[in-house]
Amino acid sequence: MTPVRIKMSKITVENVSYVYSAGTPFEVKALDDINLSIEENRITGIIGHTGSGKSTLVQMFNGLVRPDEGRILLDGADIWENPKEIGKVRFKVGLVMQYPEYQLFEETVKADIAFGPKNMGLDEDEIKNRVSECAGFVGLGQNELDKSPFDLSGGQKRRAAIAGVMAMKPEVLVLDEPAAGLDPAGRASIFDGIVKYKNSTGAAVIIVSHSMEDMAKYCDYLIVMADAKVFMTGDRDTVFSNSSQLENIGLDIPQITKVMTLLCEAGVNVSKSIYTVEDAERALLKLFGGVR
Amino acid sequence: MKGIVLGQYYPADSVIHRLDPRIKIILALIYIVCSFLCRNIFSFVLLFMSSIVLILVSRIPLKIVFRSLRAIIFIMLFTAVLNVFWTKGEPENLLVSWKFINIYTEGIYNAVFIVVRIVSMIIGSSIFMTYTTTPIQLTDGIERLLSPLKKLHVPVHEFAMMMTIALRFIPIIVEETQKIMSAQKARGADFSSGSLMKRAKALVPVLIPLFISAFRRAGDLATAMTCRCYRGGKGRTKMTVLKCRARDYVMLAVSAAFTAAVVVINIYSFGYTM
Repeated sequence: MTPVRIKMSKITVENVSYVYSAGTPFEVKALDDINLSIEENRITGIIGHTGSGKSTLVQMFNGLVRPDEGRILLDGADIWENPKEIGKVRFKVGLVMQYPEYQLFEETVKADIAFGPKNMGLDEDEIKNRVSECAGFVGLGQNELDKSPFDLSGGQKRRAAIAGVMAMKPEVLVLDEPAAGLDPAGRASIFDGIVKYKNSTGAAVIIVSHSMEDMAKYCDYLIVMADAKVFMTGDRDTVFSNSSQLENIGLDIPQITKVMTLLCEAGVNVSKSIYTVEDAERALLKLFGGVR
Repeated sequence: MKGIVLGQYYPADSVIHRLDPRIKIILALIYIVCSFLCRNIFSFVLLFMSSIVLILVSRIPLKIVFRSLRAIIFIMLFTAVLNVFWTKGEPENLLVSWKFINIYTEGIYNAVFIVVRIVSMIIGSSIFMTYTTTPIQLTDGIERLLSPLKKLHVPVHEFAMMMTIALRFIPIIVEETQKIMSAQKARGADFSSGSLMKRAKALVPVLIPLFISAFRRAGDLATAMTCRCYRGGKGRTKMTVLKCRARDYVMLAVSAAFTAAVVVINIYSFGYTM
């Protein structure tokens, strides 16, 4: 008899609720009965307007915030089953917080990236390998690795901080607004690094962002949050086809999708489900018989 | 720690909340003086009753008031015990005598009085100042009360501005500290185990980024203030001008009457010696 294999999600969120400043006049409900699952080898995007509970949720994945109610399962086991072991969860679930460049403190970028792996108790050689590998993911060269982190540009600092979490080789990589406040080139290099990390490790990646363009371009699966609840889940076609519902909760669909939708409604023969400028270019060229 | 509340300000709509902060500071001082003026059981009863009235009028929940008293419970017990054992009374009032320990009725009374005095002092000053006045109002009030010192070239406005900025930035720095601690925890930093030395060392990854961001913020704030032509207190007007209203004068009159009552009761102790 073969055992029945149930495909298990990497992370399962079960009926999770959370309240800030409970019992005071400043009480705010941050999460209200959340149920979710996060899969491996996939980039999951979490979108939602400010104050919808996204940041609280992502801090629960690695045990920085403990749910008031409900459970967070990692590989099927409750991460809070033994609160003393929560440190181990943090090595498995790597969290890059908002503006992570403000966490840099070491004398060199190299040493800063090595901070996480050192805390894991890895040996020197392994740490060295990981530092150069992860610096490679985010596009930092030997030149930058030897500098002080405070001498880097804003975008480089951000990438160094992200590499610092990647160097722990987490099975789940969570990034809260990884590209906020960067120029387009900076955004692209950060997201490329994230995709490289996912392809090389097969990790489950979770990205929180306000940029619908970035989410449409890089995410395989989307979770939409509104008012402390899960509003919608699905792949990008499912989510972005509900533009009116998204607008109701203060969100938007990618600009290019709007353009294509308008073209489609004006009688041009293009698909409505186009989410990146590259895809739009391809569709339009095809329409006019052009080649590039 | 979930959420941060600056100071202990408790938002509610009460007469005391609406009083002028200057008056509230004066009232708190009067109340503290009164608690020291009390000498006999009648004045202490009056003091205690007035504390209860204050809590009721301010609409601060009892739970919140008790929370602030809990912090000083040790001091209260300590002074009470000292008073019980070390007060020497009239020989006919000796209650217990065992070896070198002598407990007199006066000692018991003194212990109760001192506890009532401390409790009333804390309740009075926190109801008038911390619970019902925002820190910004409080510094504004202090600035105005100290403004006569400007004649002596004391930079009152500058001190008040420094205090306001410091108070304003406490929650921001606390939040920043928590964020950086979380970020380093996420990279496996451990702040809660190991020897004292190890824990102190574990704080380095928090303190360095914290100092850097504090300096960055200070620089940003200075730039922003310069951009808005801030140049100190000379000739500067206020957005909200403090103005005493009828209720402020009524409260002053009430507190004057209260002080007089305490003094009178102290003098005429109704033939009761305690």
